[in-house]
Amino acid sequence: MAEYFSARGLPVPRELERNPLTDWRRLSVIAAAILVFYIGLRITNPDFSRANPEYAANVIGQLLHWDLRILTPQNEFETFWDTAEGLMVATIFLGIVATGFSILVALPLSFLGARNIMSGHPVTAAIYIFVRFFFTVIRSIDVLIVVIIFGVLIGIGTAAGVVGLAFHNVGVLGKLYSEAIEGIDAGPLEAITATGANRFQVIWTAVLPQIVNPYISFTIYRLDANVRLAPILGYVGGGGIGVLLFQSIQLLQYGAAGLIIFMIVVTVAAMDFASAQIRKRLV
Amino acid sequence: MQGRRDRPAASFFHRLPLVAAVLSIQNLVKVYPSGTRAIDDVTLDIQHGEFVVLIGLSGSGKSSLLRCINRLVEPTSGRVIFEGADITRARGGELRRIRRRIGMIFQQFNLVRRTSVLSNTLAGRLGYRSALRTIIGRPSREDVAAAFENLGRVGIADKAFARADALSGGQQQRVGIARALMQHPELMLADEPVASLDPATSHSVMKYLEEINKKDGITVICSLHFLSLARRYGTRVIALKAGKIAFDGQPDDIDERRFKEIYGEDAVEVEIGPGRSTESMSAAEAAALALAQDSTTAAAKLGLPDR
Repeated sequence: MAEYFSARGLPVPRELERNPLTDWRRLSVIAAAILVFYIGLRITNPDFSRANPEYAANVIGQLLHWDLRILTPQNEFETFWDTAEGLMVATIFLGIVATGFSILVALPLSFLGARNIMSGHPVTAAIYIFVRFFFTVIRSIDVLIVVIIFGVLIGIGTAAGVVGLAFHNVGVLGKLYSEAIEGIDAGPLEAITATGANRFQVIWTAVLPQIVNPYISFTIYRLDANVRLAPILGYVGGGGIGVLLFQSIQLLQYGAAGLIIFMIVVTVAAMDFASAQIRKRLV
Repeated sequence: MQGRRDRPAASFFHRLPLVAAVLSIQNLVKVYPSGTRAIDDVTLDIQHGEFVVLIGLSGSGKSSLLRCINRLVEPTSGRVIFEGADITRARGGELRRIRRRIGMIFQQFNLVRRTSVLSNTLAGRLGYRSALRTIIGRPSREDVAAAFENLGRVGIADKAFARADALSGGQQQRVGIARALMQHPELMLADEPVASLDPATSHSVMKYLEEINKKDGITVICSLHFLSLARRYGTRVIALKAGKIAFDGQPDDIDERRFKEIYGEDAVEVEIGPGRSTESMSAAEAAALALAQDSTTAAAKLGLPDR
């Protein structure tokens, strides 16, 4: 094949020059990847010697032997909200409330974080850079760490879970919202500005109609993610059904833990299905 | 300044301050941050009722000049005086009150695509309304009546409740004209209003601009790619070349030599009959048009045998 080009005095395409099976560049990349994996394996040195197949099988059996007592109040002090399904409902709403709080903050901030709205004046441009930096910083702290910190600051419980989850989501939603604004067609902005409208009227008339759909889509996406995250927050002091799961495992009540895990799986699957349906109808 | 040297009488007339000009541009310069001198010391007066056609290659400064007039683009230096008011010095509310007297239509129509034709038309009144009323108020009865009247003028009142993006290009541009008319403008800026339209639709849009110029006495400044459209609709043609005025005079005075001066030696002229869409062109015509539209140094000429 290469002769076709060389016979006509043409440069031989690079694809034809190399045999993909013997090309040293490819082989060295593959070798490097294997080396990194091997070094990692030596450093982490996972110790599988303590694994006991018999014990594991026993625990799996217990996990599947659900302890149904957690579904009903067990004494005069417990109410519906202390049962597993009550806590599951509370946890779902924890995710919803956290999303709500984050929308309240991220929505107005997202306009300050959109380059096409804020460029044009040095002061507004500085605000834009600051807001986007703020979004990036709070987004880069993992949600579990944020909840741990708020557990220390305002006390362990659902408050820490809601505030921590909301705080993290301000960064995520703020970035998504800002980018939705930056992605709009600038033509209508120009046209509405030319009619003598002020900046606020321009945003109201030319920007808002263009961002409604992406905003709803991003919000449902984050709502879905937050309801998935909420059950874990109990592990780090964020309240909800995670607390019950944590306790059951600590107390070796694997029958209860297995049932809770099943409930979480069902909830997340249902949420996944629901959000996919809503977003499909929307777009 | 070729036109001035060859036609002293015409240019003398334009520079005489006998009648107060609607628009007076003085030593306007626009340098973009990239260093491009889009407008290089342009001075011109535009009289009431003129239909000025701006021609020139892509990148010759037509769009920048139009946008400096209503300050969508901030001029680097120079002055723009509209009806005695210095636009270049105006701030905030003062600038918006000047802008609302200047209508503008765009190559890409720039409608808010997701909203109705009526909402888009009513947006032309925003300069006369407070921000608070924009949010909580409903459009007034007079504004809605005016919107339907203006949509009727451009022949699309029946589309008032359709979504803007459901309309064809020519219809969208007519909504753009209706929106501009809502401002009761004294001056209409048109930035390549027909460049995205086929030849038949182009004439329909140009005729509406001609009508508001003749019947309503609105001064029009319109940039165009097609020289034949400039000859057919313009009362005065200004050619820009690299940000400077290369010709300023009567449409009929642009002969072969001037054409080459404005568009360069490689310029191609293409003849297309009136009122025909691209589908009905001959293959050779379509090929020539495509070539002309592709090349930045080629200008297509729409020949119009007067009938």
